[in-house]
Amino acid sequence: MGAYYEFKLPGKILSGAEALEHIPHELNTLGAHRPLLLSDQGLEKVGSVKILLGALAQGGMTSVETFCQVPPDSSVQVVNQVAALYRQLGCDALIALGGGSVIDTAKGVGMVLAQAGHDLLESAGCEVLPRGEHVPFVAVPTTAGTGSEATIVSVIANHETKVKMEFISYHLLPDVAVLDPRMTETLPPRITASTGFDALVHAIEAATCLQRNPVSDAFAEKAMGQIVRALPVAVREGKNRKARMVMANGSLLAGAAFSNSMVGLVHAIGHALGGVCRVAHGDAMTILLPAVMKYNLPVCRDRYGELLLHLAGPEVYAQTPADQRAEKTIEFLTKLRRELADLCGLPTCLQDTGKVNRSDFDAVAKKALNDGAIVVNPAQADYPDIIAILEEVWS
Amino acid sequence: MSHGSVKTCLQCATCSLVSGCLLRALKYLSRKDSRIRAEAKNWPQGKTLRLEVPGAAGFTITGTKDGFQKLPKDTQGDVTIRFKSPADAFKVFTGQLSVAGAYAQHKFVLRGDMGLAMPFVRCIDLVEGYLFPSFWAKRLLKRLPKKEVCAARVYQAVLLGR
Repeated sequence: MGAYYEFKLPGKILSGAEALEHIPHELNTLGAHRPLLLSDQGLEKVGSVKILLGALAQGGMTSVETFCQVPPDSSVQVVNQVAALYRQLGCDALIALGGGSVIDTAKGVGMVLAQAGHDLLESAGCEVLPRGEHVPFVAVPTTAGTGSEATIVSVIANHETKVKMEFISYHLLPDVAVLDPRMTETLPPRITASTGFDALVHAIEAATCLQRNPVSDAFAEKAMGQIVRALPVAVREGKNRKARMVMANGSLLAGAAFSNSMVGLVHAIGHALGGVCRVAHGDAMTILLPAVMKYNLPVCRDRYGELLLHLAGPEVYAQTPADQRAEKTIEFLTKLRRELADLCGLPTCLQDTGKVNRSDFDAVAKKALNDGAIVVNPAQADYPDIIAILEEVWS
Repeated sequence: MSHGSVKTCLQCATCSLVSGCLLRALKYLSRKDSRIRAEAKNWPQGKTLRLEVPGAAGFTITGTKDGFQKLPKDTQGDVTIRFKSPADAFKVFTGQLSVAGAYAQHKFVLRGDMGLAMPFVRCIDLVEGYLFPSFWAKRLLKRLPKKEVCAARVYQAVLLGR
């Protein structure tokens, strides 16, 4: 753990039944009356947008503009387009209803508006932006995975360079994060598993990378315990609101953790697999986690051993000899992955995704080396190391 | 002059001196070390990187097939790494803190595409592997890089500016 750390807590959290109905009050206190609601076509189709608009209307907020065309892998171009629309419609706040792509798009739009700019690329960087104009921002996640509602990170694709760009600024944090069980209960089992595993990887990488600190450890350890217990239940019983809420809270906690401690090699390779081969982010995380943990094991042995307590509970931890706990942690996570794969067909190797060829490995490894997450990974990973990991998770 | 400002002046002077040495080492090794040469050769054409330390001399570089080149001092960077304080830069330049450690401890900010800064970070790790004695470099780097050039030659290039 470093000698110095910085930590920014997430914004206000509204968590539980009928949380959506409190959004108008929050927007009023933020001085906003004409929000632009961002979402995607899928959520419009399943009725989530309608539920949210109903909740807003109930609170007297009827002047709401909508843009439900955010694509699954949002891009710099989409962000710039939405920022122009926001200005054209005279909106004064952003509401993001969706998964990582929608929330990250809203963060990007907020960044462009706050800096009074027209192109997101002008704001690229890490911790460099001044606050600029405040754009009230409410995030309503519909997956329990990205934790984007509690992070200072926005990942947005630049289709021209085939790179997923990371924007990091403390001013990206939403003012309000809203966790309502109605928003995740329609999520299909396969996506629940994939996004949930992403949240678990956030917690594990946050708890082990070079930027970890006492506060992020607390968030990450709590998050991983909640996620491993609730995820199989949420996959099996989608309508189980209790499990859905535990997952939503676990994902938010993991988001707050990695927002301040960053993530490592699983994400560096995962982002590259997304950029080069369009592998879904959660699937990439699921496939890579055990292999990367094995790779990091020589420098993370003690920490992985500690994590067994939070993942498997005190009984398993106490019964496992201290020198075997690290391996037991990896074994536990591999078993959890197997259980989820059996439940809903979650891929456990690259071949299963049907999107990757071995000839892509070179491009993936090169892109991973240029991902900022690799800097804080505890073990050094060079080109041959990444190729070896990709070979290991191939089949 | 207060004790604080004397200390800061010394730190700034040290940072100016060491960043100059670092740059000379980088330029030399980008001709002699295959890994750094490859990073310079693969550098996106025309893109520039600037390193800034408050109160001290910084530099702007670009990569070419002939190695890393220093650009005029007022050249803007497509990507800029700026230390938050001279004390932060001093720790990195004197080998008390690694680049990864400085990143993890928020010692600098980065403007521009992080992807462009990563080859530079890899090169600095390699340069540190040459400039610091092995026992020291082991404390700084996650993995001690193999030396392709005799460290004495790198010191010679730094001192003579070749």
